Amino acid sequence: MEKDGLELEITELRLGLPGRDVTEKMMKKRGFTEMIMTSSGSNSEQCESGAVSSGVDVEKVNDTPAAKTQVVGWPPVCSYRRKNSCKEVSTTKVGLGYVKVSMDGVPYLRKMDLGSSQDYDDLAFALDKLFGFHGIGVALKDGDNCEYVTIYEDKDGDWMLGGDVPWGMFIESCKRLRIMKRSDATGFGLQPRGVDE
Amino acid sequence: MNYFPDEVIEHVFDFVTSHRDRNSISLVCKSWFKIERYSRQNVFIGNCYATSPERLLRRFPCFKSLTLKGKPHFADFNLVPHGWGGFVQPWIEALARSRVGLEELRLKRMVVTDESLELLSRSFVNFKSLVLVSCEGFSTDGLASIAANCRHLQDLDLQENDIDDHRGQWLSCFPETSTTLVTLNFACLEGETNLVALERLVARSPNLRSLKLNRTVPLEALARLMACAPQIVELGVGSYEDEQDSESCLRLQAAIRKCTSLRSLSGFLEAAPHCLSAFQPVCHNLTSLNLSYAAEINGSHLIRLIEHCKKLQRLWILDSIGDKGLEVVASTCKELQELRVFPTDLHGGGNAAVTEDGLVAISAGCPKLHSILYFCQQMTNEALITVAKNCPNFIRFRLCILEPHKPDHVTSQPLDEGFGAIVQACKNLKRLSVSGLLTDQVFLYIGMFATQLEMLSIAFAGDTDKGMLYVLNGCKKMRKLEIRDSPFGDAALLADVNKYETMRSLWMSSCEVTLGGCKRLAQKAPWLNVEIINENDNNRMEEENGYEGRQKVDKLYLYRTVVGTRVDAPPFVWIL
Repeated sequence: MEKDGLELEITELRLGLPGRDVTEKMMKKRGFTEMIMTSSGSNSEQCESGAVSSGVDVEKVNDTPAAKTQVVGWPPVCSYRRKNSCKEVSTTKVGLGYVKVSMDGVPYLRKMDLGSSQDYDDLAFALDKLFGFHGIGVALKDGDNCEYVTIYEDKDGDWMLGGDVPWGMFIESCKRLRIMKRSDATGFGLQPRGVDE
Repeated sequence: MNYFPDEVIEHVFDFVTSHRDRNSISLVCKSWFKIERYSRQNVFIGNCYATSPERLLRRFPCFKSLTLKGKPHFADFNLVPHGWGGFVQPWIEALARSRVGLEELRLKRMVVTDESLELLSRSFVNFKSLVLVSCEGFSTDGLASIAANCRHLQDLDLQENDIDDHRGQWLSCFPETSTTLVTLNFACLEGETNLVALERLVARSPNLRSLKLNRTVPLEALARLMACAPQIVELGVGSYEDEQDSESCLRLQAAIRKCTSLRSLSGFLEAAPHCLSAFQPVCHNLTSLNLSYAAEINGSHLIRLIEHCKKLQRLWILDSIGDKGLEVVASTCKELQELRVFPTDLHGGGNAAVTEDGLVAISAGCPKLHSILYFCQQMTNEALITVAKNCPNFIRFRLCILEPHKPDHVTSQPLDEGFGAIVQACKNLKRLSVSGLLTDQVFLYIGMFATQLEMLSIAFAGDTDKGMLYVLNGCKKMRKLEIRDSPFGDAALLADVNKYETMRSLWMSSCEVTLGGCKRLAQKAPWLNVEIINENDNNRMEEENGYEGRQKVDKLYLYRTVVGTRVDAPPFVWIL
């Protein structure tokens, strides 16, 4: 199940009793995906990106090695804490407007309504106003010539460079915004654009 | 045998407060048993189903404080379905009917209803202290009853409960004459509170030591509250999402500076970093700091605060503090006794904020450290061996590597040797949670060296029944054993049935135990309640009845009891 090409089959979860042969053990293995499918109803209290949303997650698990499998009750963080750490997910109301905006070097968070902007130009203007100075919004339009880059976290939890995708797609998937110094942005782990760099 | 009159012995017993010691002295002789039972003030019942209210009252007719725990620990992680049990109602009813002068009730993982709270509030004239931890089933209406009817209430301490918030006026239900509050903790409530009522309550409570607010109490209100209660020792701050005007901040800073007794800070849900810095003046006196809900504050701001906290004994933090941050903790907090590092990202992936380096740094820098809970993405045997050498005084050691089965990330070996070093060095270890790739070998070490171990949590570990057997045979002081997703089966379960009489409980889920095995166990040990929790397969289990159940059991929970099968089990719980 893992990267590296190491022979980790030996170390995989083996639920068979000792003495059975390996293939039978593999068949008996209850993969994490199985666990997700049989997760009980009581897990509906978990936050939306938790184990209950099995359909989408199962596919993700098989495609993306980086995406972690989601097992019932794992990691062992109590449900009260889960609810409160997932608060961020639920309050940012994906696609419905308000997202948190943070800017490097500025000690407070702002919230802004994406829905009140019509396009990237509007957003650029709004960002400038939000933090009270010029030059942030420029990053959205003229990516390479600005001290700052505007990045956003999308529905999948990936950080993307702002301004690439069509506006409609952007406001639907943007969960939060961050204005980062260009010098800090390299090596941050932004998802590649897929187009020219 | 007794050269002293009973009153003298009783007076001596007054100095023995730990319930374990009192249990021991009650076993010395009949006379001591009798004296002890009439003088026991605080009763602790670790599993509410191990006994009954009637037996409690028969043995201890004069107690004042009762602590009850309900659901098993893994209920915290949603492994126990809703409705399983742990109802406090029968206990309160029985106590209310009796003549017990209950003053304190402490409940953990129990189901509490508004009806229970109302009954509680009306039945005990001298009731002083209600502490509810991880409970559910009640609303703010129940809190209103407590506020209204408990004339001498000192403590209302609600920790991490699931409360139905009717956004009502429960705070206003404290009568104007109520001036006795010492602890008020409603941090887990979701809704708005009546701020005026809150302020007036705080202002008329000169003994208030601990105040923990919920997320809806805004900054201006906090400043006013602190101005009313400069004697505060523990403060739980709410949440501050928006940028605050400088005037509010200044007022807050002024109020904080007057709180010279402040020793503990917590809360900070969705807090912006600047409000952290407002607390800098009190940092040098802080002994307890809980920033584990402050997901918005990045590592550097956390560090800037912690740098001033030289007297810190307890620190709960998120892994966003990073290894660098932990190094700062290690060099600053020389008095640190307990550290908990929680994961920011519950779904793995993303940046590995803390690694084995942070853990090693802490172990090297904090000589008084005895309790740790550490979530991380990677670990090595070498690091654990170093930690063990640096810190042989651990009482609680809980390491959670987020990815199940993850080996030593440098050598790709199992982490058996690392944990082995921990149990060998830490001779006073009472609680251990293991994780990562582990074979039966680690359990051999645990069985051999962890002689004081009382609670062990195992997940995704081990190869064969031998692993579990090493633990059951070796750890003489084991009380609570909880296992999930590990290949232990009937052979291990049935090897020494009498062992379970010395333990409070055993939990096994997604292991290899079968229905047949559990039935055999229940037959051999009638003093155990062997519960099978089966949410999905109700019908299937029935059919297999004749055929000696090689059917795997999804969840097994067994516990010793003196009162036999409980009568309040829901249909999905089978008690064999």
